[in-house]
Order: sequence, then C-alpha cells, then structure tokens
Amino acid sequence: MIPFLAQVEAPEYNMWNAKPGTPQLWMAIAIAMVVGFAIMVAMLYAPTRMRKPIASAAIFLAGLFWVLVFLFPQPIDTQVKVEQRPPGFVQGISFWLADAIPVVGTFANILTAFILGLGVFSLVRIHLLRVTKKQRDWPFSVVLLVSIVAMAFFGYADWYSRLGPNAQKIEESWPLTAYGKDLLFDGMLQVMEAAMFSLIAFFILSAAYRAFRIRSVEATILLAAAMIAMLSLMGAVVVGWDGWIEQVTNKDPFLTNFTLSSVSGFIRDNLQTPGIRAIDFGIGLGALAMGLRLWLSLERAGAN
Amino acid sequence: MDGVYYEKGWLGLVYTILVCTFILYNIARAKSNRTLFIRRIPGLNAIDDSIGRATEMGKPVLMVPGIGGLNAISVQALQIFAYVTKTAAKFANPIRLCCLDPAVYTVAQEIIRDVYQAEGVPENYDPDSVRFISDRQFAFAAGVSGIILREKTAAAFLMGEFFAESLILAETLNSIGAIQVASSTEITQTPFFVAACDYVLIGDEFYAASAYLSRQPVLVGSLVGQDWCKLLIAASVLVGMGVNLVDGFKRVPKEEGATELRFQTKDERMITKFLNPEKPEWKPAGTPDATNATGGGE
Amino acid sequence: MANTGVWDKLQTVDRRILYLLLIVFATVSLFFKVTVPTKPGEPVKDFYRSVMDIPEGKTVILQSDFTQSTRGESSGQMEALLRILMRKNVKFALLSVADPQAPLVALNVIRAINQERKAKGERTYVAWEDFVNLGYFPNAEGTANSMASNLTTAMAGRRENAPGKGPTDVFQSPVLQGIRAVQDVPAYINVTGSKTSNILIERLGKKVPFLAMVTGVMGPETLNYYASGQVKGVVIGLNGVAEIETLMDKGLKAENGHPAVAGFEGQINLGRGTGYYLALHACLTLMILAIVIGNVAMVVTRRKK
Repeated sequence: MIPFLAQVEAPEYNMWNAKPGTPQLWMAIAIAMVVGFAIMVAMLYAPTRMRKPIASAAIFLAGLFWVLVFLFPQPIDTQVKVEQRPPGFVQGISFWLADAIPVVGTFANILTAFILGLGVFSLVRIHLLRVTKKQRDWPFSVVLLVSIVAMAFFGYADWYSRLGPNAQKIEESWPLTAYGKDLLFDGMLQVMEAAMFSLIAFFILSAAYRAFRIRSVEATILLAAAMIAMLSLMGAVVVGWDGWIEQVTNKDPFLTNFTLSSVSGFIRDNLQTPGIRAIDFGIGLGALAMGLRLWLSLERAGAN
Repeated sequence: MDGVYYEKGWLGLVYTILVCTFILYNIARAKSNRTLFIRRIPGLNAIDDSIGRATEMGKPVLMVPGIGGLNAISVQALQIFAYVTKTAAKFANPIRLCCLDPAVYTVAQEIIRDVYQAEGVPENYDPDSVRFISDRQFAFAAGVSGIILREKTAAAFLMGEFFAESLILAETLNSIGAIQVASSTEITQTPFFVAACDYVLIGDEFYAASAYLSRQPVLVGSLVGQDWCKLLIAASVLVGMGVNLVDGFKRVPKEEGATELRFQTKDERMITKFLNPEKPEWKPAGTPDATNATGGGE
Repeated sequence: MANTGVWDKLQTVDRRILYLLLIVFATVSLFFKVTVPTKPGEPVKDFYRSVMDIPEGKTVILQSDFTQSTRGESSGQMEALLRILMRKNVKFALLSVADPQAPLVALNVIRAINQERKAKGERTYVAWEDFVNLGYFPNAEGTANSMASNLTTAMAGRRENAPGKGPTDVFQSPVLQGIRAVQDVPAYINVTGSKTSNILIERLGKKVPFLAMVTGVMGPETLNYYASGQVKGVVIGLNGVAEIETLMDKGLKAENGHPAVAGFEGQINLGRGTGYYLALHACLTLMILAIVIGNVAMVVTRRKK
C-alpha cells in the first residue's frame, strides 16, 4: 500500500508551514473563520437529530489527527526546505502532519483561554450575589472580588509597563505597578501557595499515625515496608546500618544483602516499581478505552 | 528518498491495533449478550450509603473531578458524578461540584443540568452547585477546604487527576468526619488517599466505575476488552521473560576448543536487537547528508 | 475492665499535638549546622556522571517546572544543577510548562547563584550570552509534541533582551547557535515539582538524553523510566539533593565499569540539601516514633482488654 501511495505527488505548501504575514496565511485564516462561523450557525439551526452526527464528525476528525500523528511515519528532519522535500503521498502526509503539530497543539490553549472567561464569570456572579444579598460570610466574598481585580490590574499594568525599551528603567525606578505586582505575586500569592503545600507535611504525619496500625498481616507487611522506606531516606541511618553490617560480616557477599540500602533497593526495584508499572498499564488501558469510546462517539454522557 | 523517515516501529502499531480490536469486539459482544460479568468494587457500593447518610444529615455531597484539564480522565470522573448526582437528585440532596479547570467546569454544568432534567426535577438544579473555584492548584485546595469546613459536607467523592492537594482535601474531610470515596489516576497520590480516605478505587478501577454503576453494554464490553488487553500484556511480559532467559545465556568459545556459558548484556541479546532495530542517525545542521539519513525503527 | 487510660490516649493523640511536635522538630533542627552523612544511590550517581559528561561550552535545554510550593526540594536541586553547569561553562535554554510563575522562580535561583559566584570573584552568567529564557508554554503535552516535531517552530516568536538591541529572536543568541532540533542538545534536563518529566520522557525520551530532578513523591514513578533506560539519571527529593551535593564535594570513584568523576574541591558544594537534611531526619524520626507509639499503645490496650 505504502509503495503505491508513494507514487502520488506531495503538495509543496500547506497552510501549516506558511510564513506569518503572507497573503496565503491570511487567506487560510479568513477561510477557516468563515467555515467555523458557518458550522456554528449550522449547529444552531440544525434539527436536534442532526447535531449529534455533526458533533461526532468533528470529534472524529480532531481525534484522527492525533491518531495519525502517533501512527504515521515521521520525518527525521522536519526543517528541510519545502523545495527539497521528497515527493510522494506518504512523505507529503508525513510532512503535513509534522508542520501541523505546533499549530494544532495550540488549539486547546486558545479554547481554554476563552472558557476561562466563563469560569471567572461564574465565580464573580456567585460572590457578587452573596455580597448584595448579605449572605453568610459575605465579607470573604468582598476579599475575593477585591483580590481578583487587584491581581488582574497590577499583573497587567506591570506587564504592559515592561514592554519595549523601558524595561531596564523599571528595575531602577521601581514604580507603583512594580510594587503592587511584587507585593501581590511574590509577597502574597507565592508565599501562601508555599504555606498550603507545607500543610501536607502535617497531614502526612496525622494520616500516617492514624493509618499505619498492625491490624492484620497485610497491614503489618505494609508497615514493615514503610519503615524500611522511611529509614532508607535517612542518610545517617543508612551509613550507620550499612557500615555496621559490612564490618560485622567482613563484607561477606551474601550477608551484605542485608544492608539497609540493599533491602530498600530490593523493595523499590522488585516490589514497588513493578507494582506501579502494572497499575500504570491498567490506567493507560482505561484511558485508551475511554479515548476510543469518545473518539468513536460510543460514550453516552450523563447518568444513564 | 524513502530514507528520510522514521519508521514508527511495528510493535507499537500491532499492540495498538490489538488493544482497539479487543475493546471494540467486546463492546459488540456486550451489545448482543448482556450477561458479561464484572466483579464488585467495594468503593462503589459505598456511594449510595454515603449519599443516604448525607441526606439523613441534611448536608451536601461534595464532588471534585481532580485538577487536570478536559480529558478522558475528567470526563470519566464527570460520568461517575452524573450517577452520584442522579442518586442525590432522587433524595433532593444538595450537591457541590468544584472545578479547577474552566473547560471541565462548563462540561460539568451541562452534565449536571441534564441529570436533573432526566430525573424530572429541573427546578431542583442550582446553577451555583457546580462551581469554578480557581485555576491555581493551592488556591483551589484552599477554596474547596473552605467549602468543606463551612458547609460540613457529609460525603465526598474525590475522583480524577489529583496531585499535592489530594491529602489536603482528604484530611480536611476526615477532620469533619465526612465519608470519602476517592480515586486518583496519579499513582503517586493513591497512597495518600489510602491513608486518609474510607474507600479508594485503585488504578483502573476508576475507569471501571461507570461500567459498574450504569451497566451500559458499551462500558461493560469496554471493561472486559480492557481485561483482555491486560492478559495480553501479562502474556507479553511472560514471553519476554522466557525469551530473555533462553537468549540471555550464550555458549562462547574458550581456550583450547572449550566453551563457557556467558550471561549476555542487554544490548547483546537477540530480543533487544529485534525490538530496537538500528536507529537512523541524526545529522546536525550543516552536515552534507543531513536530510538523507537511513530509515530504521524508533 | 483493665485500666487502659494512658494507652488509649496514646492511640488517639490529638492531631494538634502532633502538628505542634512537627513544628518543633522541623524548626529546631534547622538551627543546628550539622553535615549529616549520606550514601548516594545509583540514580543520582548516573545523573552526576551524565551532567559532568556534557562538553564545555555546549547548550542544554533546562525545563524548570517548580514554583515556591516545592521550593524545599526543587530549589536545592536547581541550585546544585546550576552550580555544576556554570562551573563547566555549559549554556542553557530555560523554559517552563507547568506554571506561569515557574520561569520567574527559576530566574530567582539563577540570580542567587550568580551572586554567589560574584562574591567569589567568578564569572557570572549573562542572559542572552550564556542562557536564554524562553518563557512559559501552556499545555505541557502540546509543547512536548511540538518540540519533538520541530524545535524552531515550537519556540518561534520567543524573544530575549539582547545587549544594545532590545527584544530579539532567541535563535539569534549565542546560546541557540547551531540548534534546530532537540537532537542537537547533549542533554534535556527537567527540574520539576509536577509530572512534566513523564510527559517529556514519553514524547522526547528517544530523541535526546533525558535527565530528571523530581520531588520525593514523583520519585517511584520516575524510577520506572530510569529502570528502562529512558531517563539517564534521576535526583529524587531532598534526599537526592543531599546526595548530589555530596558527590559534588567528594567526587565519584571508578566503579562498575564507569570511570572516576572529579568533584569541585574547595568550592561551595553543600547547599540546601545538606542544610535541610537534619530537619528531614528529625521529621522522619518523629513520624516513625508516632507510628511506633500508636501501634504499641494499640497492642497493649488489646492485651489489657
């Protein structure tokens, strides 16, 4: 099949590798916008029965792109000049896909950026209502709204002021926008995030204290493995234990298997890592099956 | 000019085709034969009990679909939450579904609204029950923890892609005595859930959940297909071990015509060469032959 | 019924008492400047060998995916890595995919190491000449796919302030001269507080030697890829920082067919890893004690009852 396809001539240019600012690219953008708008209008006016096939077709095409990227032969060097590219259908598709990846890869970002607006709208609506109706804990909602506005204002103002040749001057004069951004991002947001993360240390301690109990044989094995893992993270214990074993056994090849680093290494390499690998296989297969069902529109959304 | 390509490697292609075939074949089989067996999962049996408890206490049920973007994992989590919501809707129990990703939030809103409509109680749907909290991980964790503590949620379902916030949420829920059913596709977070939650779905049990709950033939068939795939992987591992064992030792000539059994390195073994054919060499810019490297396996 | 009051209490110690003890153990131990010994493991040794093998003057891609939240582990890793790269005059292109704040945090670490070098009278690393900041790229999977396909397109439009020129295309900088694809760099290094290392390994692992510095939580999963040879070396968590600092200080002896690798004698090698190592010991000791006390109390109570 592939040698047969290879007889077909490849297109020299495609819309993915057009240079920015060229008329071809603008034309492609204009056509894409018109087609996109037409699809949107068609979806709005299409009878309900027709909507599903249209959506399914769009999902299939979008999925097909990444399936082809995964399965189709890739060029070794994607930066060959267009006129030097090899002829042939397979080669043409291959380069077409390679050129498209960086462009298609950004689609999700653009969509997410638009949808973020919806999220912020929901957040603002909920908290504005809470403030206007003076519901319980409404002052916290005021703090949230003020924080959103202040962060957006100072973040944008600082970014804007650093554009162009004035960037160097800002470091010297340090205007109000820089102060505001510094205080909000470095002085508050980052520190608060670090504080939230450090809470995990406390929670790990209380959860471990509560959960690690020798209530059954399995729990006892788990506890023993956990103890070895924890001790192996303590360099002083590892150095002491290993040194003692080596000294007492005179570096006997069999008995040195009982050094802490050997025992923890055995647990890690032969029990923990293969276990993780097996669970990862299951998760990967689950994701693939889910992806396949979504791609082929076999999945029915919602409660059934 | 065929040589300018990487061959994608036949093994990955064969496995992908086999896996897809197994899943699609079993979906077809399940559609014609509705008696395919799937085992019970304790964590999922607890869903109805948890919601019942929340109803008795008059407290909301919390659902968090992880902090990943809109992908197969979050869609799967929302499918499970659709079932949870369906049960909650029957008892007119309030729900709270908290999202980090705005795309997940919009899809969640649609799904939850549809559930209330399907149950014939659209008037019970509260648009504020599905909430976008923040798109920053720890701001989200703080926001959800706040909801947990203020509203004293009686039952919680933490399912999806969780990272460092998993333990913060689980322990906060534990501190107020809420029943927790949790599952993370991130294997690194599963131990935290095991330590802090009442019920945990491990690994691909997360994907089995919607099949178990809804018993849709497509989902049940897909689940059985996945099990076939796991058997395929296990068989491949065993075959690989056997071949490595046989191929690992080679009799090599020693002095005076004698031979000795030597353990071959990974690169010397036949199976390594078979699965990893010689790669085309990358030629840096300016190399005369830069675009003419020979094809090979990836 | 037997009196089990004390043992019952030890079984259910109030979490606030545990939290208070943790604060005391963690903070008090930070006041003691003790160098706790460590025994570097194979993944860290391989990481050190691989970084030390990078030829002087070459450029590596450094993906920094941590923010202040995992600073305790990742910042020490980044500092150790930068000390090695700068001492070997290895240039680097910096990018982040995990968080918009990550480039800023990485630049702060670069600034700190530069100040350390300046204080010792050594040459500091200059943006544009020695490193370029490619910035933040949203969508980790998409960015890795793009880089695997075409590095110049993936980085198109990224600018860095060039001396006397203002913002200029990064591919004109001395750092990225002769680099068109990821295959052109001798190593791709990821310092991460997230799972971005997995995403990169899956998409770039076969095209470029990949090295990872991950948090303790991500360690076991990353070791899968180390075992399969897809990652050349791994530094895991705070323990890993202490280990690589030890290697930088003392060097690595010849073993298992690998030649000896020199350390950096007389230079600042012991940093955050060694500084926080005692605190790690103290906190782990507290956790072990808490678990042991809880279990002993449970057993005693059961027997008495």
